[in-house]
Amino acid sequence: MADSGRIETSIRSGAQWLVAALEAEGVDTIFGYPGGAIMPVYDALVDSALRHILVRHEQAAALAADGYARASGRIGVCLATSGPGATNLLTGIANAYLDSVPLLAITGQVASGLMGTDAFQEVDIFGMSLPVVKHSFIVRRTEDVAAVVHEACAIARSGRPGPVLIDLPKDVAQSRAAARPAQRHRAPAPVMPDAAALATAVALLARSERPLLYIGGGVGIACAEAALRDFVARTGMPSVCTLKALGAVDAASPHNLGMLGMHGSQAANHAVQSCDLLLVVGARFDDRATGKLDTFAPGARVIHIDADAAEIGKLRAVDIGLAGALALALAALAQPLHIDPWRKHCAVLHELYRSRYDAPGDAIYAPALLRDLSIAAGAQALVSCDVGQHQMWVAQHWQIPAIRAHLTSGGLGAMGYGVPAALGAQLAQPQACVICVSGDGSIMMNIQELATLRRYAIPVKILLLDNACLGMVRQWQELFFAERYSEVDLSDNPDFVALAQAFGIEAFGIERRDQVPAAIRRLLNTAGPVLCHVRIDPRANVWPLVPPGKSNGEMMGAAA
Amino acid sequence: MIHRLEVTLQDGEGALLRVLGTTERRGFRVLAMHAEVGADALCRVELTLEGTRDAELLGRQLARLHEVRTAAIRASS
Repeated sequence: MADSGRIETSIRSGAQWLVAALEAEGVDTIFGYPGGAIMPVYDALVDSALRHILVRHEQAAALAADGYARASGRIGVCLATSGPGATNLLTGIANAYLDSVPLLAITGQVASGLMGTDAFQEVDIFGMSLPVVKHSFIVRRTEDVAAVVHEACAIARSGRPGPVLIDLPKDVAQSRAAARPAQRHRAPAPVMPDAAALATAVALLARSERPLLYIGGGVGIACAEAALRDFVARTGMPSVCTLKALGAVDAASPHNLGMLGMHGSQAANHAVQSCDLLLVVGARFDDRATGKLDTFAPGARVIHIDADAAEIGKLRAVDIGLAGALALALAALAQPLHIDPWRKHCAVLHELYRSRYDAPGDAIYAPALLRDLSIAAGAQALVSCDVGQHQMWVAQHWQIPAIRAHLTSGGLGAMGYGVPAALGAQLAQPQACVICVSGDGSIMMNIQELATLRRYAIPVKILLLDNACLGMVRQWQELFFAERYSEVDLSDNPDFVALAQAFGIEAFGIERRDQVPAAIRRLLNTAGPVLCHVRIDPRANVWPLVPPGKSNGEMMGAAA
Repeated sequence: MIHRLEVTLQDGEGALLRVLGTTERRGFRVLAMHAEVGADALCRVELTLEGTRDAELLGRQLARLHEVRTAAIRASS
């Protein structure tokens, strides 16, 4: 960082400096909800070019900013008042932290003199958010506001991205001052991993007979998809993906075995268990991916590439750790590999465990519906998921063309993510077809955002899979709690079609398989926001499944 | 195991809280601590920790905090 030498001599309020700094950072859209302590900022917004999207709950502001960031590759910004406004942001901030999304959360705070006195709508959001932010600030002086905004944006975007919080006391926002000179924040140059370690990795890779790529969401964050695809083309190396890396490599390739882990493909999990070398790229050995860790890839040596050195060796000891730029490391490792028997074995696994869509009966089979909808929507469509069974069906059956085309709450698993994230993604990419796949449990967590879709005519297409229960919990109770069903029944759900229509959203419902083709056409051909309610079998489960605490080699069931 | 850790960080609001919070959340118990801000506005922290997890990994997790300049294990026993 170097001082730009720029001296702002004009006198403005802290709120005006905040807004001006956001504009200077290239921010064009912010998501928020006004209230007492943040009112000076809302006053400054009146004279600003920033587009403010008024959501109906602060949690949705943070999640919409997250969706905006993922779909655009730019920083997402959310705004809330002190106290409950700030605490309502926390789920969205944690979501961005666990999925490494660049997010700026701005909270109003009570006036400086009242801080620490248990004033009305005072909470220590700085302290409460410490474990789930990359960094945070309390702005103590008006002259610092602009510089803090610039520094916060730089921190949120740089290296491994994440959420940054700015807590702005009301008096600092209201009082007027010149701004102290801002520092210029340059993006750090890509770091080439250690040369000696790279050379060892090249040799290890050349000797391997059964190497496997384990691809994580870090590939998308590092914008290393092109480098990864080039590496795959040059090596012909089979691969598996985490939930957040789906779309990183060609889904149709017989060497891409799909998602690994708890609801991963059997082909992927079998390949992991039998490989002799795991090349981990931007992944972090999450427990949902590895199953029982000490039985994960038992015969494999491990090369781990990650931009974050603290991820290397965190959960699995590695043979070679390569901290640095993923694209540079992949280019350095690429080489022709003589592994034809292993490639053939993986292609056989790919074919053997291919998903089937010929379930009997007239009831709607969600995996087939999702596959057909994704094909009809095309390669330019984005899909945003909520959390539960439908999220896993999307992961298994949606044709995902690129990492950025799939928005999912991977680390936090936050029900309620889908609609606000889709809203944010649609505003980031107004020409794209954005589809939200939700469940009857999840959608009720942020149902109020249908009002936001209506207000701004945001043309998100919602596919609501309704099994009248909390399906994933019900599935676990069936399988692991001796069918002792506890608080999973949602059979008294509202009439979702009528509910959407009450918000002014076009809506319709289907319950038979023969209605699916017309429903897909209507969903995709409707100009504005639309909701398609789909009645599915409450007994449907997600297969395959690695039981909790078990090895990935102990999968239950098979794709139906 | 007992570990002695030295951390140098830019002094600032919440910096020490971040170091202590990260240390405890990552599985270490703080047995003793000394912290002092120097004339260079850097805060030097000496921590004596107890824990069964990898202290070198904790050092890397502390090093990625924005204020932290250095984090090093000085001794383990």
